[in-house]
Amino acid sequence: MRLPEGIDAISRRRFLSLLAASMALTAGSSCSRIDRGKIVPYTRKPARGIPGVSAFYASTFQEGLAIQGVLVRTREGRPIHLEGNPEHADSRGMLSLRATGDLLGLYDPDRLGLPVHKGVRSNWQDATKALNNVLSDARLMDKRVLLLTGASASPSLKALLYDLRLALPGLRHVAWEPAAPVAQLAAARALFGKPMISRPDLRRADVILSFQSDFLGVEPDAPVLINDFASRRGVSTPTDPMNRLWVVEGHMTLTGANADERIQARPSRMTSLAFALARLLHREHSLPLPAGLDPAELDYFDLDRVSAASSVKASTMRLLARDLVRAGQSGVVLAGAPLPMEAHAACHLLNFMLGSEKHIMDRAQPFDLAGNVELKEILEQAARGEFAVGIFWGANPAYAFPDPALWKRAINGIPETFRIGLYEDETALDCAWRLPEHHWLESWGDFESPGFIGIRQPVSGPLHNTRQAEDLLLACLRGMRIQTQSTYLEYLKARWRSGVYVPGMPVPFESFWNSALHDGGVRRDSAQQASLQLNPEPLRKALESVRAEADSGGLELVLAPAAGVHDGRYSNNGWLNELPDPVTKATWSNPLLISPADAERLGLKDEDVVTVSSGTATVDAPVLVQPGQASGVAGIALGYGRRTGNVALAIGANAYQLLKGLTGDSFVIRSARISRSNSRSAIPRTQDHHRMEGRDLARSWALAEYAKTVDGGKTHHAHTASLIPEQKFPGQKWGMAVDLSKCVGCSSCVIGCQSENNIPVVGPERVLMGREMHWIRIDRYYEGDQQSPSVRHQPMFCQQCDDAPCEIVCPVNATTHSPDGLNQMTYNRCVGTRYCSNNCPFKVRRFNFFDYTSTKKEPETLVFNPEVTVRPRGVMEKCTFCIQRIQDAKQNAKHEARQVRDGEITPACVAACPSGAIVFGDLNDPESAVSKVSKLDRHYRLLEELGIKPSVTYLADIANPVAAEDKA
Amino acid sequence: MKSGSTLTTAESTLQLLKPPSVVTGHLTIGGLDDQVLTPVGTKPPLAWFVAFSVTLSATLIGIALIAYTIATGIGVWGNNVPVAWAFDIINFVFWVGIGHAGTLISAILLLFRARWRNAISRFSEAMTIFAVICATLFPLIHVGRPWLAFWLAPYPNQRAIWPNFRSPLLWDVFAVNTYFLVSLLFWYIGLIPDLASLRDRTTNRVKKAVYTVLALGWRGASLHWHHYERAYLIIAGLATGLVLSVHSVVSFDFAVSLVPGWHMTIFPPYFVTGAIFAGFAMVVMAMVVVRKTMRLENLITDYHLEVMNKVILTCSCLMGYAYLLEGFTAWYSMNPYIHHTFMQYITGSYWWAGWLTITCNVLIPQLLWLRPIRRSYSGMILVAVAVTVGMWFERFVIIVSSLHQDFLPSSWQIYKPTFVDYGILLGSFGLFFTLVLLFARVLPVIATSEMKMVLPGSQPAHKGGRHE
Repeated sequence: MRLPEGIDAISRRRFLSLLAASMALTAGSSCSRIDRGKIVPYTRKPARGIPGVSAFYASTFQEGLAIQGVLVRTREGRPIHLEGNPEHADSRGMLSLRATGDLLGLYDPDRLGLPVHKGVRSNWQDATKALNNVLSDARLMDKRVLLLTGASASPSLKALLYDLRLALPGLRHVAWEPAAPVAQLAAARALFGKPMISRPDLRRADVILSFQSDFLGVEPDAPVLINDFASRRGVSTPTDPMNRLWVVEGHMTLTGANADERIQARPSRMTSLAFALARLLHREHSLPLPAGLDPAELDYFDLDRVSAASSVKASTMRLLARDLVRAGQSGVVLAGAPLPMEAHAACHLLNFMLGSEKHIMDRAQPFDLAGNVELKEILEQAARGEFAVGIFWGANPAYAFPDPALWKRAINGIPETFRIGLYEDETALDCAWRLPEHHWLESWGDFESPGFIGIRQPVSGPLHNTRQAEDLLLACLRGMRIQTQSTYLEYLKARWRSGVYVPGMPVPFESFWNSALHDGGVRRDSAQQASLQLNPEPLRKALESVRAEADSGGLELVLAPAAGVHDGRYSNNGWLNELPDPVTKATWSNPLLISPADAERLGLKDEDVVTVSSGTATVDAPVLVQPGQASGVAGIALGYGRRTGNVALAIGANAYQLLKGLTGDSFVIRSARISRSNSRSAIPRTQDHHRMEGRDLARSWALAEYAKTVDGGKTHHAHTASLIPEQKFPGQKWGMAVDLSKCVGCSSCVIGCQSENNIPVVGPERVLMGREMHWIRIDRYYEGDQQSPSVRHQPMFCQQCDDAPCEIVCPVNATTHSPDGLNQMTYNRCVGTRYCSNNCPFKVRRFNFFDYTSTKKEPETLVFNPEVTVRPRGVMEKCTFCIQRIQDAKQNAKHEARQVRDGEITPACVAACPSGAIVFGDLNDPESAVSKVSKLDRHYRLLEELGIKPSVTYLADIANPVAAEDKA
Repeated sequence: MKSGSTLTTAESTLQLLKPPSVVTGHLTIGGLDDQVLTPVGTKPPLAWFVAFSVTLSATLIGIALIAYTIATGIGVWGNNVPVAWAFDIINFVFWVGIGHAGTLISAILLLFRARWRNAISRFSEAMTIFAVICATLFPLIHVGRPWLAFWLAPYPNQRAIWPNFRSPLLWDVFAVNTYFLVSLLFWYIGLIPDLASLRDRTTNRVKKAVYTVLALGWRGASLHWHHYERAYLIIAGLATGLVLSVHSVVSFDFAVSLVPGWHMTIFPPYFVTGAIFAGFAMVVMAMVVVRKTMRLENLITDYHLEVMNKVILTCSCLMGYAYLLEGFTAWYSMNPYIHHTFMQYITGSYWWAGWLTITCNVLIPQLLWLRPIRRSYSGMILVAVAVTVGMWFERFVIIVSSLHQDFLPSSWQIYKPTFVDYGILLGSFGLFFTLVLLFARVLPVIATSEMKMVLPGSQPAHKGGRHE
């Protein structure tokens, strides 16, 4: 038999091997169980951005009087993280924690998504028509229109409002903020003829004296001031120049917690103390008084008299005076926002005498803002029916105006009412038309700061059917047949073309505009402040009024915005509600803070509910005994007790109501009363134990002690022997150093971390049970006497131990060590035995006791950072040193065939920290910043004696109290 | 005359030193079978049904709450950070401890030829099995993702991920599983001759079929007995090691960690003693009830109970020593953390639990020094209940009190159990007693084959005496 041609080419062996191969291929290809779904490539690439790569946009954040540049990180067109914009000349890359946290506000499912008319869903056509009609009507009939807004420093908005006023002569614009330091503005207006906020440059200040000023805490410019302050705290040798912070205050603020010398005094005594100090400076140190002020006028403020009335020792005042004189024009005096105008005037006087008004207070920001007193007049007019139209944009008077009855009468007295806002809030519910506006991350705008005009640009398309409020006003102008731009962007650009762009510039306007957009604004020479002339007349008046004052002797109550929810505008924000107050560590509540002495006198303990009353207003709040609070002084945070919002509802008490009877714009109630009720209310706190129990945890040395420690080589380091061979990290080894001397405990890092790492909010009930999820905890301890404790702050997060106790006990290998020194957590592998948490001596591991994410309503899920796993329930989690950022930097370096540069990786906490207290980098690189910092004399590792070798180093806090010999 | 009286005294002294008979009254082999095996075939009395409905209800509550936990999350319990373990692990350690008496009685006492064990071995072995079933439940349900708990098993997988052999929790998995398997095997082997007896006695066809299968063709041939005795002895030898190892390994969960109050070298013997202590208390409690309700006073005599009470008393003294030693270590080590934890035990947030532990485990059992109390029902029930409560709270103190305040005061937090915690604890008791009640009606509660060896006249005798 003859085989056909070609067949014989295949041998039996070859045939069999082909057969085997094809069988194997068939089997192999049919084994795949992966459902690939449909993969459709882009036919056209999206206009902007590469999927999977972050794009950054510069914008500007404003909150009352605070203006800060932000860098918005977006992924696939949605903002996922906010950090400070270092190009912003005024905020210099510092960002308030509330700005970082307000990202969640953008995605708040409670936002109003479309216009509503009297509770019925409507549309923009009808809404704008209604607005146009009433305004055109008002224009024709010459009726009065009330426009209530929040504070604004936007030159373009000012121009727009000016245009509007030209078209509508009956327009009355009131800018009102419920918790802004109006008294401070009023003092500046009286003394210098211009309402403004002075900004000290604390980098140049050797001695800082604060009268109840919480400049490290809740005051508008806190982030920059923290940076300035901390720049003089991180000493590397005992001889480095360090500033000294004196704080005179009644209730314990974060600033007071960081004081080198803290003096307790009642807020009503502050002004006389300041005047007594002025007299002391003049008489004993012969500092000149400003022209026109007779020294005899200060005679009433005799040191002994004031000291007796305020129970501040005369010797302490002398010490303080001596310290200030020594600092001279590098000494600065700050008055707190809650204090009345007279106190601000007195502090201006002190700064003038020291010369620091010129030297340090070199930047001032003008604001025109109404206080409650002015708003009260307006509302009374409204109640009399003087306004035909009321437009309430931004500020929320129905919630925050202290007299709700007057507000009701006022709103009932206005026939046509419009609310422009993000939410269907208290004011919206009182208005006929509720018009939803863009979130600031969806808006255009510009903001003037000293030395900089910042631009706000939308970083996300509108998530809902909302409009920018300015666009609505422009539409009104057009409705009144006035020629103007069609959009606010056009308006803004036109104004910039004429007002900011200088025609002679070498670049065309479009390039100028684009580069301004890129940078977040343009620098402007801060016009050297004309030397301010102090008008002595208001001072004289202040002196008189203080002299006339009688001490009521009652309980003094200080009201201040909350660290998280501020004046109530962030009440619906879970991140900010759950942020532990930097001092009390309370979340989701505004307890009444009273001193240990008062608590004992009144028989009150933590969580007893009391009724606080001032005049006819009463508020119920649980008590929290606050160490360090002056006796006879209570404190309570504003911004709680909202009546709307799924998150905000029924959290805390509305303390604004207590301001009802007040005649001035101070936030101190001189004669509050508290009466106990029989109920108790739990305060969810993230820290329940406040003493270090003699343990070597947050080290703090006085400067003199530091010198001795270094000289004597007494720095304590545990020597541990181990049977286990030392771990080797041949390449990089990531490490962190935290300078406790720079850290003020502001908690910005907590929010930065929460936003970056998709950390869930658990709610008050679970905080009470000890289940908060924050990867960063700021431990706060009170050492010494409860009546005047020394306060320590210590940021605590995973210490990434080389010999990590959590790793050996995990039965499933879910937590392991990386070759670059990270203690890794593999969420997919974790079954949730929680053994690692038990064995973690720092207790920084967090467990998902419930499913915290699948219950989220759209569009809240958009806030998640796609680079970080969203953890399911039953899984342990903890700080990763922002491993996603490390990987990103490593990949970039690899692409560019180089090593990762020092400083290239900034974990979210490092980026969010305004004080620069946290340094991150490669410990194997002796030249890296973290290596250098970790070698300072004051470095130590926490719980070193356990032999677990943490990768986090702490630098002992150095305090700079007045030396003992000076005191003697 | 004089010498004679001396002789009498010596003899009577010798007589006194002899252990009393482990069976009272006159009982024939057939009578024994009738007495022990009859309840297995008959309809239970009303009291049994009442008891069964109570325990079953408790079990169902437990099951419902476990289902709720698995559906919702561990968050329905009171656990938090720092107290990441609480009722879950307390119950686990508690039930493993209860499971200790059975094997100790069966294996170690067998090797020591303590004849009094024969009457109680079956029952206590059964209790071991049931207690370990209750115990293993907790590690399974306490994890955050119970559906993935099988990852603790070292099974070959395509990702080549093995469990972490350094983790004491993994050692636990092995120790408890081994213990369970060996105990089960031991119990089953002991049951074979009795199952054959049941097979031969029953007339019900279904029961006959079941007992036939379970009896593995046992005919009572000499060869069968020969193999049986060998196998029983070998497994007893294996189980002996396990009695000591399993609770030592459980104690490693704590001792190997660095939590103050856990990181102690005394833990393994301390835990083993505690386990025997709690186990015996539970056996005494159950025995008193079984003896009374099933009329087994002649087989489970006062002597049995008294011997067990002596074991309890010994353990109680050892526990007292361990507690003192903890205090000594805290003081002598000069370690501030351990010192703090010890002071927490007796003066801290859970001081009452600490003192309850000491009272129940050390003080109340001292009553057993008195013979009348050792032999009175109310006395021994009081002590047994106290020990059971005390040992549960001892684990509470070790776990919750140590965890709630460890190194950094900032993380300290109070733990409060929720209704789910209580419900699941109740459910575990329900499950345990449900199984005990079922056992009492389907299998002989006393090992008749072993009892037959110690019946009067069962052993070859000469000169009027017995070889003992």
